[in-house]
Amino acid sequence: MYRTFKLDMPQSLSDALNMLGDGGAAIPLAGGTNLLVDLRANRISPSHLVSLDKVQELRVICCKDGTIEIGGRTSVSDLLRSPEIAKGAPSLAQAAKVFGGQMVRNAATVGGNIACGSPAADLVPPLLSLDADIELTSTTGRRRMGLAEFFLGYRKDARRPGELITRIGAQRLQTNSVNTFYKLARRKGDAITVVGVAVTLTVAQGRCTRARIALGAVAPTVYRAAAAEAMLEGQTLSAPLIDAAARQAADSASPIDDVRASAEYRHHGVHVLTRRLVAQAWERLN
Amino acid sequence: MTFERKLSIRINGQTVQAAVPAHRTLLEMLRDLGHVDVKRGCEKGDCGACAVLIDGEAIDSCLVLAWTVEGKDVVTVAGLGDAEAPHPLQKAFIANGAVQCGYCIPGMIIAAQSMLNETPNPNEDNIRLALSGNLCRCTGYKKIFEAVETAAAMIRGEAIR
Amino acid sequence: MDDTTAGQALANTLYRQIGKGLVRTDAPGKAVGKTKFAGDHSLPGMLHAVVLRSPVASARLVKLEVEKARALPGVACVLTSRELPDRLAPTDIPGQTGQVRMNTDQQILVRERIRYFGEPLALIAAETVDLARQAADLIKFELEPLLGVYDPEEAMRPGAPVVQGEDNIVATHKIKKGDMAEGFAAADKIVENTFRTQFIEHAFLEPEVGLAWVDENDVINIRVSTQVIEHFRFIADTVGVPHNKVRILGSLVGGGFGGKEDITVEIYLALLTMHTGRPVRLEFSREDSFVGHGKRHPFVMTYRTGVTNDGLITALEVRLTADAGAYVFLSPYVLLYATVAAPGPYRIDNLSVDAKAVATNNMYTSAFRGFGSAQACIAYEQQMDEIALSLGIDRIELRRRNYLKTGEPISTGYPISSAIWTEKCVEQAWAALGEPTPSTATTRIGRGIAAYQQCYGRLTFLHDTSEAWVGVEVDGTVVVRSGVTDIGAGQASTLAQISAEVLGVNLSNVVVYNSDSATTPLAGTTTATRATYMTGNAVKLAAEAVRDRLVGRAALHFGVVPSEIVLGDNQISVADHPDRFMPFVDVVRMCAAEGIHRSELAIFRAPFTDRLDPETGQGQAHPDYTFGAHAVEVEVDIETGEVTILKSIAAHDVGQAINPVAVEGQIEGGAAQGQGYALCEEMIYREGKLTTPSFAEYLIPTAMDVPNVQCIILESRSGLGPFGAKGIGEPALTPVAPAIANAVSDAIGVRIYDLPITPERIVAALKAREGGC
Repeated sequence: MYRTFKLDMPQSLSDALNMLGDGGAAIPLAGGTNLLVDLRANRISPSHLVSLDKVQELRVICCKDGTIEIGGRTSVSDLLRSPEIAKGAPSLAQAAKVFGGQMVRNAATVGGNIACGSPAADLVPPLLSLDADIELTSTTGRRRMGLAEFFLGYRKDARRPGELITRIGAQRLQTNSVNTFYKLARRKGDAITVVGVAVTLTVAQGRCTRARIALGAVAPTVYRAAAAEAMLEGQTLSAPLIDAAARQAADSASPIDDVRASAEYRHHGVHVLTRRLVAQAWERLN
Repeated sequence: MTFERKLSIRINGQTVQAAVPAHRTLLEMLRDLGHVDVKRGCEKGDCGACAVLIDGEAIDSCLVLAWTVEGKDVVTVAGLGDAEAPHPLQKAFIANGAVQCGYCIPGMIIAAQSMLNETPNPNEDNIRLALSGNLCRCTGYKKIFEAVETAAAMIRGEAIR
Repeated sequence: MDDTTAGQALANTLYRQIGKGLVRTDAPGKAVGKTKFAGDHSLPGMLHAVVLRSPVASARLVKLEVEKARALPGVACVLTSRELPDRLAPTDIPGQTGQVRMNTDQQILVRERIRYFGEPLALIAAETVDLARQAADLIKFELEPLLGVYDPEEAMRPGAPVVQGEDNIVATHKIKKGDMAEGFAAADKIVENTFRTQFIEHAFLEPEVGLAWVDENDVINIRVSTQVIEHFRFIADTVGVPHNKVRILGSLVGGGFGGKEDITVEIYLALLTMHTGRPVRLEFSREDSFVGHGKRHPFVMTYRTGVTNDGLITALEVRLTADAGAYVFLSPYVLLYATVAAPGPYRIDNLSVDAKAVATNNMYTSAFRGFGSAQACIAYEQQMDEIALSLGIDRIELRRRNYLKTGEPISTGYPISSAIWTEKCVEQAWAALGEPTPSTATTRIGRGIAAYQQCYGRLTFLHDTSEAWVGVEVDGTVVVRSGVTDIGAGQASTLAQISAEVLGVNLSNVVVYNSDSATTPLAGTTTATRATYMTGNAVKLAAEAVRDRLVGRAALHFGVVPSEIVLGDNQISVADHPDRFMPFVDVVRMCAAEGIHRSELAIFRAPFTDRLDPETGQGQAHPDYTFGAHAVEVEVDIETGEVTILKSIAAHDVGQAINPVAVEGQIEGGAAQGQGYALCEEMIYREGKLTTPSFAEYLIPTAMDVPNVQCIILESRSGLGPFGAKGIGEPALTPVAPAIANAVSDAIGVRIYDLPITPERIVAALKAREGGC
């Protein structure tokens, strides 16, 4: 790329927010694993970039009460290194493991993965399956919303100009729960997801008390298959019921045809993977 | 309007000065400064050929803006060792036949070192995962995995099997 | 008996260097980052070049406005077809063969007609890469879309848009052998299948790159990553200078696989440096590389085989159609290789092959490891499995009943004189799979094997030669000069190993100077699995000539006959008299003092033949062939369609492994490429436009995808290469994709006839068979 831009490298969050509050022309730059690719391909030509590289206060993982708070600038490798994530957000650890290659994991951030708006963003299905919420901060203040409400449409989210993703809060996995993620792609290493499924099941007294099915790469945004979840909650799960719920999840998807896969295969992938992950979780819990 | 800065960068233990525009990537700057051991393979983060260590962590230099590495330690494969005093990874790659065309090798060694910094006793799965972002078209990876295992043992001070 | 007596004799020879896994001479520099590739050089005053390419596959270039680009400060030169000599760029047989070329050339820059997506429109040279790219963006052009054709079948229909020639058929070959009617009449069963393969990208890690300058003698120097330094002739012809005014300095190549066999950046560089009078550097971006060099030919292959109930093949009829893409390049040769290879390593006396290469507006297709033989193997080995299934005969047993044996004729009627160890290779590879892995509720296990016959050495009607120079310095160190290009398999190191063996010195005593068209004897291309065979033999001849003179002088010194002199470990001694020896360097000094010639320039000639008969396809096609097999065990997830290769065993008769570690490296690398070919690689063109333009869309196997390959190296020592070597470069790849295809079919009980066998295709095939699942 040859077009240049103003590049700021603030040392603190407040400095970063001030720079980003210049009327919306400034774009935050975290790991650069998407942004630099877009720059080089001339998909974007910003006049002003604000690097979050030195804003260490956004690079944090901490537990409080039943929530794991993840700073927006936390890297994917940070997630892999974290015992809290391994124990309390296992699907997120699984997604982090198959996320890109090592160098991309070392650079890419949780905030960046959410902000890129791709329905194939691998960290998002696990976060949705953990009832995550997201904190957005600007010079005018902070606000939080459920992560599911954050995504408004294909590559469109609820951020206002000048807002930065500062925290993501995932609900720590309860007892009697299983939380898993599977990434279906055209090869095992470093590939763009064809179908991503994250599932959480909580069981009490032989019944499923909570079900979360979060689907990636099969609709304009990552989303939860709410109708499928409702079919499972409160029920004693059986193979036919799980299959029916999985079919419902597949029907809820609206995937596209592209070079990686057809819409038909993606529907099929949602069906078989949802069925598999829910069945495996149910078996582990009973 | 050009946005240019005079940077003070530590590369392979030596501090150098360079006047660099904002949009210059670390890969471009390193090669302009003569560090041609850092290879350009795709400039998209897909192939790993350009990987360098930044404060001990392997990063694709094509995805880093040069300005952001001021104050950090950048290490390229030539900074790990040379012909007179090769790094254990370099020794093992050479001895094990892991080097064919050689173009992926700088990135491979950097990625391996980064992994060993955290996992000094890796198993095969650790190694495969650590190198999955480094494409190789010549070797089929097997001799590279073996070389990393051998080097890890050398670094741990164990006798080589 | 398949073993040759010559092979037996060689088997008993003890070598000091040959057959040892010595550390390659190029490895240390590469591992410490000291080795410079072509793109790692720079010169003062160097300009940077960029290529502007067509964004559509089929169009007329109506207008091309470069004035704004030329006017940008820092831009030294913008070239369009208007500024170029009225010549075409040759795309025909590379190398020194001196054969009459076919008129298959390509416009250097588009004059009026755009035939493929990415076809170059203009060249820009500027002070920096940034400026060159900025200038490229200032170039405006107007295109008038022309109806294009993107499928070979459609391209052959009357009325189809014409891309090349009169009717788009750029090459045809045939084999007519035996009596087809009789052959099919003798069959109890006829099995017919059609197999399809896809466009494949070489995906070498080092993109095409070079640096050119005009020196003080008006010689155009081009430092470039190439498999062929002999292109200097074509380059000179195109830019209009004498052949001796172009010098190619070949760098170590960061991967070729046939993708750097054609001219890539050289002509652009030559033109730009001539026009600007300054050094010019051109490096393709990865996207440039994906759209800028020829791909592997997709083939449609229909096999109709007549067999008896006992599994004996009585007749084989083959129809091959290859997509040649927008320009001819090496399509006629790829087609010929596929034609010759069509039956595989089997004895088939009634054989009919009809092959066509057809032009389309897809990317042009050219050389890729295997060169048509790989595609043929994908067909013939899957066909063998289908035949076995149809007859209810074990797949290994069916093959065993039909193997070609030493002394028997291949498809072209030429009898093989080297060992044919197909049966041994198949048995050993299959046995090494061991006990089958158990399947689970959602996985099925399958096993597959593929045997192959792959030529080494170029087509013999090309009259291939290779020259090499070997000399001994007065201090006893050895110099080898060879034009050979080293593309990563250790081509240069192999020559050092051979000369060290012959002269009785150590590998560390030998330096190889290679790859300079002005100063190193021309070795011919590094293609066609010919480097060890041709250049290894040339070096061996040269080294032996020098050795003979040294030995003669030593014999005189010791008062014995030359046959009693032994060389080894830098010493010359008398056989069975260990007390009668002297250092190698002492004999060398004697020769130096007495004017005995301490160097030799040798030429090695492959067999020279005429072309194959145009009607029957009979004659000798290649010097010799390598035989072997690859076996795999796969696990297929029947719900997602994902395939995991659990076990992978290669068994090849390489004749003699010059360096077994290097041989393993070729086999392991070929296995990974074959895996990608079978399962996940595909260059997808829509209306000729590439929709997989980077490594994110075009997926090659990563460290997480490949199994650990087991290499079984057999050595019949019956090859025509030095010390009885055959070739392994291409054979390493050839059987892998069909072995995997056969294993998947075995696992799921249904065959997918089109590559790549993606998870989606597996799911679709399972659904189709079960009527939904």
